[in-house]
Amino acid sequence: MTALLEVRNVKTYFYTQDGVVKAVDGVSFNVNRGETIALVGESGCGKTVSALSILRLVAEPAGKIVSGEIIFNGIDLLKLSNEEMRKMRGAKISIIFQEPLTSLNPVLTIGRQISEGLEFHKNMSVREGMQEATRLLQMVGIPHPERRVHDFPHQFSGGMRQRAMIAIAIACQPQLIIADEPTTVVDVTIQAQLLELIRNITKELNTALILITHNLGIVARYAQRVFVMYAGDIVEHGKALDVYHTPFHPYTAGLLGSVPRLDEPRKTRLQPIEGQPPDLIALPAGCSFQARCAYAIPECHKEKPPLLEISPSHFAACWVSQKGSRSWQK
Amino acid sequence: MVSSTNTTIVNERPHHTLWGDAWIRLRRNKLAMAGGIFIIVLTLAAIFAPLITPYSFAHQDLNAILENPSSKHWLGTDGLGRDVFARLLYGARTSLAVGIFAQLIVIGIGLPIGAVAGYAGGRLDNALMRFVDVMYGFPDLLLVILLKAILGGGIYQLFLAIGLVAWVNIARLIRGQILAIKSREFVSAAHAMGGMGPYITWRHLLPNSLGPIIVSITFNIPRAIFTEAALSFIGIGVRPPTPSWGTMISDGYAVIFASWYQVFFPALAIALLMIAFTFLGDGLRDALDPKMRR
Repeated sequence: MTALLEVRNVKTYFYTQDGVVKAVDGVSFNVNRGETIALVGESGCGKTVSALSILRLVAEPAGKIVSGEIIFNGIDLLKLSNEEMRKMRGAKISIIFQEPLTSLNPVLTIGRQISEGLEFHKNMSVREGMQEATRLLQMVGIPHPERRVHDFPHQFSGGMRQRAMIAIAIACQPQLIIADEPTTVVDVTIQAQLLELIRNITKELNTALILITHNLGIVARYAQRVFVMYAGDIVEHGKALDVYHTPFHPYTAGLLGSVPRLDEPRKTRLQPIEGQPPDLIALPAGCSFQARCAYAIPECHKEKPPLLEISPSHFAACWVSQKGSRSWQK
Repeated sequence: MVSSTNTTIVNERPHHTLWGDAWIRLRRNKLAMAGGIFIIVLTLAAIFAPLITPYSFAHQDLNAILENPSSKHWLGTDGLGRDVFARLLYGARTSLAVGIFAQLIVIGIGLPIGAVAGYAGGRLDNALMRFVDVMYGFPDLLLVILLKAILGGGIYQLFLAIGLVAWVNIARLIRGQILAIKSREFVSAAHAMGGMGPYITWRHLLPNSLGPIIVSITFNIPRAIFTEAALSFIGIGVRPPTPSWGTMISDGYAVIFASWYQVFFPALAIALLMIAFTFLGDGLRDALDPKMRR
């Protein structure tokens, strides 16, 4: 089976006054039909830019996809005309943004915003669109949808707004949904509800999902495979549970160590990753994580480690792991 | 919502639209409401002028020139024996027509240019805005006089002359608004759903800048009215015998020592109308500011 989406060696750079910011620097990953994958990493590691690159919504003229291929259903999205790409957005690939309040137009009703995509892509009239919007609101669990469809965003609570965003994203039954930290701005009780909702809906519609998050706990529960990003590159990927239980890259281990875990005894303190991510304008030679890595060996400063398969379908870009020495692991 | 009134819902909340909210806030502002009511009353009086006064604005009664206010002529008569009150009412037609129609031209030119410049950005924006800068550099009144000289007399030419000069303000304002809103996330979201540029401009960008546009129009109307009065005062506004407050002041100016009210009443009318629009504009600015929502 060929993958639904295949991102190959994509580089997205931002040209600023200070120099070229290599926000995404040679990222490759793939998503199968109906599969959920996760893109994980800390702020500024290139997760969101990778997602926006798929939709070709990187802010121009500063940002530019410099090279690579994004094959969706056998078509290279980067070779499409603007008009062809516009027809993809919302219809075949849609995105749920992080901040639901600012992602909704304050002066349009929720219903109109849901029906927008249907009007663009399915030639629905406003009336048909609003009926469908009511049904979609019902589907994402909004009470009294026939009344709420006429509400404005400020009349919705945070969790409801994010449900409305989900309704917008699924309106045209796309084959791929990108969820960019969909639960970061809502509180924990709502987080779980929303993630369950997204999981149920993607299962029901057989939609593939790219879940962007910094929470590895979420990943283990909701994603089949995980791609860990650091400084614009993928440093580790594999089956979600493998990566969660035996990370091969010290960065992944660091991420896991800095998140409270309920499945382990509370005898150890949380271990933050010391230091800051490297400057994306001037990346160091060798491994980009070396400066923060307690286990760096001389090779790490000389050459950038390639992604290699360390155990079956589990890849990591780390010289230490590849040499078989996993002394850095607990 | 009407549909929700006959269903029983436990946690019913008042259903306010954005404009509904603004209207509630505007109603609380007494000065703005007074201004609005004054404008409405004056507009109705101007429209139904023939029902209010038996006199025509052009009828000359040479046996009754420069009469003082009386029960027959409420505000007296002018140097040609015309009823001042009637001329004031019909003059309001001129003033309001100039205020409104000039603004329609202003919107007709300024909105598309501002929207295109703001949305397209880059070279097109640069070219359009440099043109606006050049227009802005000229003194307004001088430019209107120049255009009026080219276009010729008549009230329609007056609308056009004022409109062709005043659109630069609104074009700048709309461009600024669009630029600010363009970078908001919901615009990216609309793009992500497959929205087209013109659609997004019309559906998402302009409605979100409507508040400042309305306020700006409310402040621009009295400016246009004042420009007309000024032009009529110096004799290149509307043609006699069409009454205009500016012409009336100009006529009355000649006889100011004989009967001061010839100047006073039209001047008072201009002042009141301008204050009314200013109060209404202030009120609208506060009412439409989303930060004022509680």
